[in-house]
Amino acid sequence: MKYLGIAPARPKIGVFDFTGCEGCELQLANKEETLGPFLDAIDIVNFREVTTAQGDDYDIALIDGCISRGDEIERLKKIRQNAKVLVAVGSCASFGGVNRMKNVLDLAEANTEVYGKEFKETLYTRSIKEAVKVDLEIPGCPVSKAEVERIVQHLVWNVAFQFPNYPVCLECKQRFSTCRMEMGELCLGSITRGGCNAPCPAGGLGCWGCRGPAPAPNYKEFLALAERKGMDMQLLAERLNFFGGFEGVLK
Amino acid sequence: MLFKILYKDDFRTLIETAMKSVEVVAPKKVGSNARGKPIHHYLPVTSFEEIDLSYETTEYSAKTYFIPYLENLANYRFGDEDWEKEIQYRFEPRMILGLHACDISGLLRLDKVLIHDKFPSPYYIARRKNTLIVGIDHEPCEGGFCHALGTNVVSHGFDLFLTDLGDRYFTAIDSDRGYILLNKVLTHDVKEKDTKDYLDARRRISDAYTTHVNVHNLPNLLDIEFESDVWKKWGAKCLSCGSCAQVCPTCYCYGVSERVSMDWASGAKVKQLYSCNLVDFAQVAGGHNFRPEATTRLKYRYYHQHRGFVEIYDEPKCVGCNRCGRTCLAGINPPDIIGELQAEVRK
Amino acid sequence: MSIEFQPYDIIKDTDMTQPIDFNQRNKLKSVDRAFKAEITNIIRLTDMEKLFQIRIVDDAERQRFTFLPGQFVMLQVPGYGEVPISISSSPSAKGHIELCIRKAGVVTNVLHNARRGAKVGIRGPFGTHFPMVQMHGSDVLLIAGGLGLAPLRAPMFYVIENRVSFKDVHILYGTRQPDQLLFRYQYEEWSLIDDINLQIIVERPDATWAGRVGLITKLLDNITIHPEKTYAIVCGPPVMFKFVCGRLNQMGLPMHRMFVSLERRMHCGMGKCCRCNIGSTYTCIDGPVFDYWSVMNLKEAI
Repeated sequence: MKYLGIAPARPKIGVFDFTGCEGCELQLANKEETLGPFLDAIDIVNFREVTTAQGDDYDIALIDGCISRGDEIERLKKIRQNAKVLVAVGSCASFGGVNRMKNVLDLAEANTEVYGKEFKETLYTRSIKEAVKVDLEIPGCPVSKAEVERIVQHLVWNVAFQFPNYPVCLECKQRFSTCRMEMGELCLGSITRGGCNAPCPAGGLGCWGCRGPAPAPNYKEFLALAERKGMDMQLLAERLNFFGGFEGVLK
Repeated sequence: MLFKILYKDDFRTLIETAMKSVEVVAPKKVGSNARGKPIHHYLPVTSFEEIDLSYETTEYSAKTYFIPYLENLANYRFGDEDWEKEIQYRFEPRMILGLHACDISGLLRLDKVLIHDKFPSPYYIARRKNTLIVGIDHEPCEGGFCHALGTNVVSHGFDLFLTDLGDRYFTAIDSDRGYILLNKVLTHDVKEKDTKDYLDARRRISDAYTTHVNVHNLPNLLDIEFESDVWKKWGAKCLSCGSCAQVCPTCYCYGVSERVSMDWASGAKVKQLYSCNLVDFAQVAGGHNFRPEATTRLKYRYYHQHRGFVEIYDEPKCVGCNRCGRTCLAGINPPDIIGELQAEVRK
Repeated sequence: MSIEFQPYDIIKDTDMTQPIDFNQRNKLKSVDRAFKAEITNIIRLTDMEKLFQIRIVDDAERQRFTFLPGQFVMLQVPGYGEVPISISSSPSAKGHIELCIRKAGVVTNVLHNARRGAKVGIRGPFGTHFPMVQMHGSDVLLIAGGLGLAPLRAPMFYVIENRVSFKDVHILYGTRQPDQLLFRYQYEEWSLIDDINLQIIVERPDATWAGRVGLITKLLDNITIHPEKTYAIVCGPPVMFKFVCGRLNQMGLPMHRMFVSLERRMHCGMGKCCRCNIGSTYTCIDGPVFDYWSVMNLKEAI
């Protein structure tokens, strides 16, 4: 469709999976009401869950999952060379995700625990940006399809895209949820980047921080208030480490 | 003002009848907090039993029935190198039952900005005029300081206003449609005993406030204390989450963004309520941020509430409900901040 | 028993059925309606700036559209967003308006790629204006730095079209580099007009530059000001106000006789979204044109 006299680009996109549950890729192939137009706007040249095509000619590479094996690094580097724009999709790609929890353990012990006798060589978990240059990160577990659509629109038509510059609390309030902290439960919403529309607190679960830090997070006050409110500080530590986005917050 | 006596049975009949023809929104208990205190919201109700008029306060103000958090200002249809813009305003009538005086005062503040000032908002006017308001008197709520701001009593801004006298309501009528509504059921003229009971009830309420905030000379005080350490202390605690502005009955600031469908058939101009405490509130194109520090933003919020708004509208924007103070995880609250600013001067 | 509520239909309100006129600030209610306008011509000024000539499509709306020098419009590109842009053309041209736009964000970028014939939306005019009538009979200093020439052009057109109503007229314009100079094709015309003193200066000359070199304040060196019968209009980046207005003040010009145009992020243009607030002052309603005395009394204004 031409608008303002401008013919939109139809970028070639490849979607690639690394270590992770592939949930983010499922999200991309989800949301049936807009899937048709979504696929019309772009040219998918490589996406295991959607097409058998396995082209190497793409403008945009969407990367799902984190890095946990040596061969993954080599594969990722090739993708980086082919892509004009490389986007890390989801919390695993952005921060390492749940897999990052193993980074505090002894690697051999962790491997034995998981694989037993069928021992597999693995590395300490890395986010995509720890392996190659990343142009854009879309955190979230899983990633929000609405946000991906918005980013694709941005790449195709240059429409505005900006990650929300506020923590989860704003959207949580805007859907009239009762504050989980007020209910005496732990919630990372006030330090976590919004844009997810706060589904967890709305469903009665405090935020686990899958989208990583909000802009200018006030960790000092957050830790102080969690203590004042009598939160379990061990639980808090575990939760901050869960998706890998808050590494280093607890010294 | 016209007053009538309305017995509670008749009141119930009135509300149950209203429910048949119009959406009724009323305070409803939705849970309890960690201290065991009930939490109420203003929600649409379909039976009288759901309504809890003895509620202390609500977590959220009723403003979102007039300025929703998210609102489509316009819809677009695209095609053939052109576009058409469509705007829709709310039309359906609604009754909000059980608003406290502070919340009605809040609406009067919003009226000043959104009806009586330059560029009246058609979106707001349409909602306001289609909303019937039945207010009610109440015992002071924890932390509320409405009495300091004179917003604990209202004489307009509603259709009906009730004061509980045990078996009956002392009912103030402030509109023709309120009068017509009330005449649907049996009412009684006010007798001397009713007046006495009403004044006693008001006095009892008035004597029961426990939170005291000294707002004397506050607009000038804010200017004098522009560099006060009070701002540094509380600003360092601010999480920049914007919760205060979301629950506030009078915060109306917003941002606008555009949405388009993936096939570019349709789009929308969407308004989202915002908060002056959010990091990028005063950031301009090109990246410069006029208020990059949480401290400056928090100070700005208090300035707008208690000084800027006074300059334009002759009264503070704040109505003293203390919802912001209750919702703030960091415990930032107007009684403490204003109290400390007043103490600063006496040092 | 039943209860009937007569719904209120705002679109039948008499204020809503009137022809839309944003100058009727106190009663206009169709605040989110826009005039549909067509980009009729695009003039490349520099790598970063283009001048868009825009015509309101509806004949009656175009005839009714009036503005005063210094006012701005909200320019809307559906799907992309809305930006405040100062009107850069003559007030006498009504609904044929010119907007000088720098490539700076999403909306302005897409406009730079748009072709003539593209349809956009216009809301406005909004904001305060330069008090041109009050300046009649006086000397006028029209001073612009960088992109400031865009908003300055409207009062310039006014002064040129009403040359007989003003005494000495100075147009002083400066940019960092020669290739940033806007409206180069018009300098000859302006300088040929009887008794207009046009001076241009750049900070960093290139090999081809034969004109003056230095900061804009240098152009004030050889001007004599008669404080009681002079007005100044200063447009440009905020940092320039301090230097230029400060200098003019030293030269004896009172601050209330200098007018500047402030810019802030705006979402509504109508004093509702609060985004452009400076203290209790709304840039969109109380500004963008302020006298310099008011600016000095605004906290965090520049």
